[in-house]
Amino acid sequence: MKTWLVVLTIAVIGLGAYSIDLHGDKEDLQRTVLAQYTDKLTDASEKLSHLQRSVSQSLLFQDEQAIHSELDSVWRLSSEVRSSIANIPIGQELSNEWMNYLGRLGDEAKRTAKTGDYNAWREKMPQVSTNLQSLSDEWSAATVDFYKHNGKMDVWLQQVDNKNPNTNFDKVKDTLKGYGEKDFPLTLSESDWQKKIELKALQDAEITEKEALEKVKYLFPVIKGATFTVTKSSDTAPYPFYHIQFHQGIRLGYIDLTVKGGHLLSYLVERPVDEAKQSQEEILKKAKEYAKKLGMEDVAYVESRENHQAWHVTFARVHPGDNALIYADGVQLKLAKDTGELLGANAMEYIQEETIKPQTAKPIDWKTFFQDDIQVQEVKNIYTDNGQFEQRLCYEVIALRDGKTQETFRVVIDAENHNVLKVEYLT
Amino acid sequence: MRLVSILFALILGISIIAIPQNEVIAFSDQQITRGAYGDDVIELQARLQYLGFYKSKIDGKFGYNTYWALRNFQEKYGLPVDGVAGTKTKKTIAGYSDYDEKWVKAQLNAGNQFTYYGSIPLDQQVNKGTATGGSGSGSGGGSSSGTSNNNGTQTQVPPKYTERDLQLIANAVYGEARGEPYEGQVAVAAVILNRLESPDFPNTISGIIFQPLAFTAVADGQIWLEPNDRAKEAVIDAMNGWDPSENALYYFNPKTATSKWIWSRPQIKQIGEHIFCS
Repeated sequence: MKTWLVVLTIAVIGLGAYSIDLHGDKEDLQRTVLAQYTDKLTDASEKLSHLQRSVSQSLLFQDEQAIHSELDSVWRLSSEVRSSIANIPIGQELSNEWMNYLGRLGDEAKRTAKTGDYNAWREKMPQVSTNLQSLSDEWSAATVDFYKHNGKMDVWLQQVDNKNPNTNFDKVKDTLKGYGEKDFPLTLSESDWQKKIELKALQDAEITEKEALEKVKYLFPVIKGATFTVTKSSDTAPYPFYHIQFHQGIRLGYIDLTVKGGHLLSYLVERPVDEAKQSQEEILKKAKEYAKKLGMEDVAYVESRENHQAWHVTFARVHPGDNALIYADGVQLKLAKDTGELLGANAMEYIQEETIKPQTAKPIDWKTFFQDDIQVQEVKNIYTDNGQFEQRLCYEVIALRDGKTQETFRVVIDAENHNVLKVEYLT
Repeated sequence: MRLVSILFALILGISIIAIPQNEVIAFSDQQITRGAYGDDVIELQARLQYLGFYKSKIDGKFGYNTYWALRNFQEKYGLPVDGVAGTKTKKTIAGYSDYDEKWVKAQLNAGNQFTYYGSIPLDQQVNKGTATGGSGSGSGGGSSSGTSNNNGTQTQVPPKYTERDLQLIANAVYGEARGEPYEGQVAVAAVILNRLESPDFPNTISGIIFQPLAFTAVADGQIWLEPNDRAKEAVIDAMNGWDPSENALYYFNPKTATSKWIWSRPQIKQIGEHIFCS
C-alpha cells in the first residue's frame, strides 16, 4: 500500500510538471503568433498613413514625373497595406472590404500612370484622400481593441466571430463599405462582366427536371443507364441550375445544366483509368468529335495537356467575322487516356458568350517591336480581356530568344493601340 | 531459291550499312507533339540533348523548348519541319543518338540536376540532389517505368499556375475535403482559384490559403498531411476550368461551422457535407 502511494505521488508530480511545461510551450507559441499579428497590424497602420499622404501629395503636381513618382508610391503602398491586412485575424468581411478598397485604389494609380489621364485622378482623389484620412483614424482607434486582450488570442477570436457588431473594427467595416461604393463604383465594363458571369443574357425558356435528365442522356449516352439524383440550385444562387449527380458501375460524377434552356455548365466523371492506349492524335480527333456532339460547332482547337490519367483539351469560339479565337468563350474537355472516353466537359465560359465590339487590327513591324535577338515564330489573332473587362482584338505572338538556352514567350498585344497586355514565359 | 537468298542477303547488308550503328529499339510507336508528357518525351529530350539541339531540363514535358529543339533537328536532317515526333523523325533521331535510359531515369528518380550531352562524359554532367525533375509514364510510354511521382513533376498545369500552386492547393483540398466526393474536392479547389480572381482576397495562392481564419485545415494543421493522387487530380481539373461550385467564394460545413457570418452569405448549392456560397 505504501509502495503504491509513493508510485502514485511520483506519477502525479511527473504529470503536473509535464502539464506545466506543455502549458508554458503553448503560451510561448501564442505569444509568438500574437507578436507576428501585432507586427502586421502596426505595419498596416503606419503604411495606411503613408498611403493617405501619397494620395494627397499626388494632387500637388502638374509635372508628369513628379505625379508618376507619387502614383508609384500609391500603387506600392496600397499593395503593401493589402498584404499586411491579409495577415491579420480581423474577420473575413472586414478583410474583404479592405482588400477591395485598397486594390481598387492601387489599380486606379496604375491605370492613371499608364494612360496619363491625370484629370480624372485629380477629380476623384481629393475625396479619396479625405476618406482615407478618416479610415486611418478609425483604424487606429480600432487597433486598440486588439491590444486590450492581454495576449489572449482565444478571447480576440471569439470577438471576431461575434454576430452582433460591437467593436471598432466593425465600424471600420461599415465605413469602408460606404466609401468603397462611392469612391470606386463599378465601371460599365465591370457591371457588364458581372451580368455575364451571372448568365443574365440567357433568355431561353425554363426546362423541367425531366427534360434536364433527357438532355443529359442525349449528351452523354455512356451514362444513360445511371442512377440520377437531381437537385435544384439554392434560391439565392445567381442563376438557377440543375445539379445532377449520377452513379453507374465504376462511374460517379455530376452534371450542371442551366434551368433556362438546359445549357451544359459542366460535366465530370470519376472512374479508374487503365494504362494509356490512346495516342495523342487519336485523343485530339476524339476531342473534336465530342465538341461537335455537344453542339459546339463554332470552336477551334487551342491546346492540350497530358497528365497521369487524362488529357485536357481546350477549344475556343471562332469569331464569325474575322476568324480570331475568342479565348473568353473557351470549352475544356477531359478525355481518359485508356479509351478516350469523355470524362469531363466545361462549357461555363462558352455559354456566357462575349459581346465583341468591332475593332481594327493595325499591322506591327516585328523587327522594330522586338529586340534584334528575338524571332517571331507564330502570330495568331485572338480576342482577350485587357484587364479592364473589355474584350480586345490582339496579336498573340510566340517569340523565341535563342541564346545560351532557348526561351519562349507568349506576348499578347492589342491589335489597335499596340499596348502589350500579357507576357508569359513558356517552357 | 538461290536468287531469293542473294536478294535477302543484299537487302540485309544495305540495311546494316544505311542505319547508323547506334540505332536501338527506341520510343513507343506513338507520335507525340506539344502537350504530351512521359517516357517517350524523356527519351526525345535526352536524345535531342545528346545531339546538342535541346538545352533545357529533361523533365518529360513536351513544351515549347522541346518543340523548337525538335524542329531544328528536323530542319538539319532534311525532315518535314512540323515539331511532331512521328515514326520517321523518331527513327532518324534514334539513328544518330544514344540513350542510356537506365542512367537518365536514375538521375530523375534521385532528383539530380543533370544534362545528357553526347560530347561530355556522363559523370561530369550530374549535380546530385539539386533538380526539380522527375520521371513520368505518359502516352508515349510504351515501356512505362511505373507511376512514380518524383518531386511532383508528373503533372502539367496551365501556364498561369505553377507546380507549387498545385501542391499547395492539393494540400488544402486534402486537408479540407478528403472525405468528400470527387466533385466536392474539385469545388474546394475551384473556390481557392475563384478567390484568386476576386478583388476581395489576397492575390497569391499562398496568401489565400494562409489568410488567418480562412481555412479550418490551416488552423488544425491538417493542411500538412500528404495529399493523395485524387486530391491532386481534383486540383488539376479545377486549374483547367472546372468549377462545380458555380463561382462560389466560400463554403462551410453546416454541422461544424462556428462562424455566424457565413450563414448570411447567398448559398449556391450543396455538395456532400459542404454548402457553397458567394
